[in-house]
Amino acid sequence: MEHIFSSLSQFWEYTGFANCSWQNLVMIGIGIVFITLAIVKEWEPMLLVPIGFGMIIGNIPMFPGLNIGVYEDGSVLNTLYQGVKQGWYPPLIFLGIGAMTDFSALISQPRLILIGAAAQMGIFGAYLLALSFGFAPNEAGAIGIIGGADGPTAIFLSSKLAPDLMGAIAVSAYSYMALVPVIQKPIMLLLTNKKERLIRMPVPRQVSKKEKIIFPIVGFLITAFIVPSGLPLLGMLFFGNLLKESGVTRRLANTASGPLIDVVTTLIGLTVGASTQADKFISVKSIGIFALGLLSFVIATTSGVLFVKLMNLFIKNPAKKINPLIGNAGVSAVPDSARVSEVVGREIDPSNHLLMHAMGPNVAGVIGSAVAAGILLSFLG
Amino acid sequence: MRKFLSTAVLSLLFALGLNAQNVSDLIISEALATPDSTGIMDNYGRRTGWVELYNKSTGTVNYGGCYLTDDRANLKKSPIPKSDLRTKLGPRQSVMLFCSGKRVDGTFYTGFTLENGKTIYLVSNDGRTIIDSLFIPESLPAGMSVIKLPKDIRQRDFQAQEHPAVPSPGLLNGDINAASKADAMAATDPHGWTLSIVSVSVVFSALALLWLMFWLLFDRPARKSAQKPAKKKDAASNEGEVAAAIALALDMENGGEVYAAISAAVHLYLSNAVHDVEPGIVTIVRKPSGWDNKALNFRKTPKV
Repeated sequence: MEHIFSSLSQFWEYTGFANCSWQNLVMIGIGIVFITLAIVKEWEPMLLVPIGFGMIIGNIPMFPGLNIGVYEDGSVLNTLYQGVKQGWYPPLIFLGIGAMTDFSALISQPRLILIGAAAQMGIFGAYLLALSFGFAPNEAGAIGIIGGADGPTAIFLSSKLAPDLMGAIAVSAYSYMALVPVIQKPIMLLLTNKKERLIRMPVPRQVSKKEKIIFPIVGFLITAFIVPSGLPLLGMLFFGNLLKESGVTRRLANTASGPLIDVVTTLIGLTVGASTQADKFISVKSIGIFALGLLSFVIATTSGVLFVKLMNLFIKNPAKKINPLIGNAGVSAVPDSARVSEVVGREIDPSNHLLMHAMGPNVAGVIGSAVAAGILLSFLG
Repeated sequence: MRKFLSTAVLSLLFALGLNAQNVSDLIISEALATPDSTGIMDNYGRRTGWVELYNKSTGTVNYGGCYLTDDRANLKKSPIPKSDLRTKLGPRQSVMLFCSGKRVDGTFYTGFTLENGKTIYLVSNDGRTIIDSLFIPESLPAGMSVIKLPKDIRQRDFQAQEHPAVPSPGLLNGDINAASKADAMAATDPHGWTLSIVSVSVVFSALALLWLMFWLLFDRPARKSAQKPAKKKDAASNEGEVAAAIALALDMENGGEVYAAISAAVHLYLSNAVHDVEPGIVTIVRKPSGWDNKALNFRKTPKV
């Protein structure tokens, strides 16, 4: 009888109930909130469902040493997590993004590329703020990249610069990407007047196939020669786009933009979520990262909108003016931020469609954030 | 011939690529000939001279099968065992080999002892190619070593230092107190303004260059060529004006909006203003093939 009780007692020690802490419960609660937002509000469900469930997986209280946790060498979760830790997943996602992205909007109006550059101010604004809050330069760089509004880039850079903060940075980046409509809209309305919001932009010209094929090659050469440290992201992005536009590798493009990106997105979301193990995640630093992440999105949106207004000062022809509502799309949350431009634009003029114009700075933002990540890596890596 | 040339070029490129992470990336980074009483001891508790090899590449290099020698006439004097798995040297890592004079001491021991005034050679696994060498000055004091330091930030080219150095076996030379990039940045740019300004400038330059390139190469020529057919359209626009005038006249005569609408449509059609460009759209007109016609598909009853 005594032996049975001792066995039961031993079994109890292995259960989640015996090893549970309030931090685990908080993180499980956050995971459930993420899943609820994804299903009920449909905010970035492709990301929030895997991340939310990953958070629950990662925070099931367990007896250490069973070789099942995400931070335990050789466990299944740890093996899958290597794609995040070593930085394989982000370039693979960029391959898929490249194969899905149509750069026509950008090629037909090359001036919109500059908006994508302006919105990267969010990265460096957050970098300055993080330094002033006492973060080390490498940590500040990793936090700043949240302002690029690009989850894979944030994971890639933080895995190189500040691996300890990667979980918080990734969750922060993806959460704010899901909240883009909530964060950006008030800023856009605050910074523009009715007259500006009513600006109708000229219809983009039709882009030839030749231009679409040359763009990824020239784009890659220019950006990679300037920032070789961004090679994994830039190379995959432009390679994926060449697969799509060449027209002769349709099967490869379909795989990259379909099954491959789906598999990697599932794994990256799940493992990033699982990496938010309460003992590693809940800290004052994490709260600081979330606050700075929000500020970086605000700065990025503000600088994008203000930059368009600045550009308009130099455009004399009223027919060529740019609607400042597309300035927010300079962050690389594709296509959510472009969709915000469309929605806000149609609220004041239902016949003014800004989506195709906003896609230009939006895809420029993808390139811009990869370039910015490369620069930070070369300075701080 | 063309195939042969392309194969040869590809092979050459492949060979060059392979060369990027092989034994040629090894250097003799440090050597100490005469240890003093504070010198490092080998696994047998002896203080002997030692040589440090360094892998300057960013990939792992296996130096098993290479040779060390202090005699130019005998390049295979002290072979390094091929079969030992421990002879793999990671990127930017170093390894120490004790010059005990007895090869039987183990993998990390040489078959000769070091002496001042001699040159040590690292020889490739072909036994002929000298990969690197290091001269130990005659005047090198006991307990001091001769080291090589990188010439530039890329750490590809190294140069032997003239002055004796404090031995740093197994450590990166001159790197003991070196700060990481982040630490260096914290010291030189504590508030981050310099990095931010430089980075923003680089991001803008990269994307502005892209804009300029595409504006010059495609956007500008495309817009110019789009303006050219507009001149040709003058005739068409005249036709449109004629159509509009007809519409007005008809409207005045009949008071009917239908004609005005028709004329406006004609005008828009002639001035080519209502058409989307829809290349590659193929309309398939269905033609009955009779594949489902039972009368045609049934086998006829064979006539007897």
